[in-house]
Amino acid sequence: MRKRSRWLWVCALVAYAFLYLPLIIVVVYSFNDSRLNAEWVGFTLDWYRKLFANDEMLLAAGNSLFIALVASVVSTILGTMAGMAMHRYRLRLLPILVLTPIAIPEILMGVSLLIFFVMLNFTLGLVSVALAHISFCIGFVAIVVRARLSGMDETLVEAARDCGASPLQAFAHVTLPLIMPGVIAGALMAFTLSIDDFVITFFTAGAGTVTLPLQIYSMIKIAVTPEVNAVSTLLMLLTLLLIVIASKVSPSLLRSD
Amino acid sequence: MKKLAIALLALAALPAFAKDQLHLYNWNNYIAPETVKRFEDFCKCEVVQTYYSDNEELLAKLAAGAKGYDVLVPTGNAVQALIRGSQLKPVDKKELPNLKNVDPVYLNTPFDPGNQYSAPYAMSTTILGYNEEKMKELGLPTDTWAVIFDPKYLAKVKGRVTVLDSPDELFAAALKYLGYSANDTDEKHWKEVVELIKKAKPYWAAFNASSYIKELTVGNIWLVHGYSNDIFQANQDAQAAGRKFHILQGMPKEGAVLAVDSMVIHKAAPRSDLAHKFINFMLDGRNSADLTNLIGSGNPNLDAQKYIKPELKANPAIFPPKDVQAKLEQLQDLKPAQRRLRSRLWTEIKAGK
Repeated sequence: MRKRSRWLWVCALVAYAFLYLPLIIVVVYSFNDSRLNAEWVGFTLDWYRKLFANDEMLLAAGNSLFIALVASVVSTILGTMAGMAMHRYRLRLLPILVLTPIAIPEILMGVSLLIFFVMLNFTLGLVSVALAHISFCIGFVAIVVRARLSGMDETLVEAARDCGASPLQAFAHVTLPLIMPGVIAGALMAFTLSIDDFVITFFTAGAGTVTLPLQIYSMIKIAVTPEVNAVSTLLMLLTLLLIVIASKVSPSLLRSD
Repeated sequence: MKKLAIALLALAALPAFAKDQLHLYNWNNYIAPETVKRFEDFCKCEVVQTYYSDNEELLAKLAAGAKGYDVLVPTGNAVQALIRGSQLKPVDKKELPNLKNVDPVYLNTPFDPGNQYSAPYAMSTTILGYNEEKMKELGLPTDTWAVIFDPKYLAKVKGRVTVLDSPDELFAAALKYLGYSANDTDEKHWKEVVELIKKAKPYWAAFNASSYIKELTVGNIWLVHGYSNDIFQANQDAQAAGRKFHILQGMPKEGAVLAVDSMVIHKAAPRSDLAHKFINFMLDGRNSADLTNLIGSGNPNLDAQKYIKPELKANPAIFPPKDVQAKLEQLQDLKPAQRRLRSRLWTEIKAGK
């Protein structure tokens, strides 16, 4: 028994190291006093200073955040509705329509969305990117919400209805609180998917619309500077903050219940 | 009444605060920030830049119908592709008096005969980059492709050499070394190239087109086949990091690939008036020289020469002497059948032992 748990620890440590070491290195090198991410030279906050003076990078980060927020909020609402519908009714078409965008290769979706926007004479910009992101995020939210719904005790809703709640009240006071962990998990997923998406964003962004992934990718040619590490560190902090908030709002999100 | 007129005039003047915008679709770090600022002051407008990192990205996006861009800065063969796809608006040469500043050698190319659509912006070459101290220590030449293809030399730097992970560029270098044109498409010559590369490959550390700048700067790699701008960048980084060695550019005497990026106007440009103003502005010597001083790019502008830092002007890789210049070639697009054959040979090279 002791031996087995020791092995478990080793496996867990290796897995965590694999997941987190690269992230830690990114953070550490954001404080490195050298343009090259090759070796440790000395501690500095210069890259953060440079980052906050770099309008282009900040604009890109701001755009990314804006798009991710809009995309996650809208796709969470629509995705929850889709998840409910797929759970409640025996629909043939809806699951296919909702889930296909998850399976379609991103490049295909990017190109087809671009052609679609061009056909509609829709000006490419923040709005087109946000719409594109919403369209591929809905499916992910719907899956998570439906999974949560299938584990829910249906009699609770019936009981609420018997006690005189309207369908809307039953949803607001019974269903929603119960599926909240799924909704929040879906929203977080949509947020992260949106904020780091490159391919679809590349095709649907218009002249002058730059998001963080687009900005970083275009810098690869001239070698990525530690400013990228600095902005990544801030993003990680933000993500961490979001998860902490989510776990405060819905403690069962991070625990099995 | 008069007061009212004045008030109305003032109101009419208000929208002037919403500045005119020029949308530039460019490579990252491919225009000096001070040049952008100077242009914005000059045209009383705002320059909004979006970036691509590959000509194919630009072509794909425009082919799908994206618009909103005024000026693009593609490389020679991409200019040709854009012209073929009728994506460009002809330039009005009356609006571009500064075109006279450009070295005639770079005008009227096969990519855009008569420069109906394009004006040269900046250029780079695909050459050798090397660690000066190590090459001296090993007694290796740095002015010939032999040093990356001939096992006689390679034996001394085994595992310290990288070549570009690009069939276009590597075939061109090998063809040049063998004495052919970089655009040679003779199958027999291509087979010779494959043999040559297969013999040299065991000595190479990697096919690398992205991180070789850093590898050079750190000192892991001593010799590369790479882009002149990148090698220039590697040395700047190395000096800034206080390295004890220098990264230099070596122009092979057999000649090399030249890539000229040109400014063109998209057919759906919302502000072709500003686009012309911008192109003419960038053809001014002082503005053109800013970029060369920033990233060590080649400069096709004769008027720019007097503004370029002397150490850059003395660099034969950036400003090749006349006899080498004659041996530089711009890559042309392959026909589909040739491209298929070359992909097959490339796979053979990369998969083979």
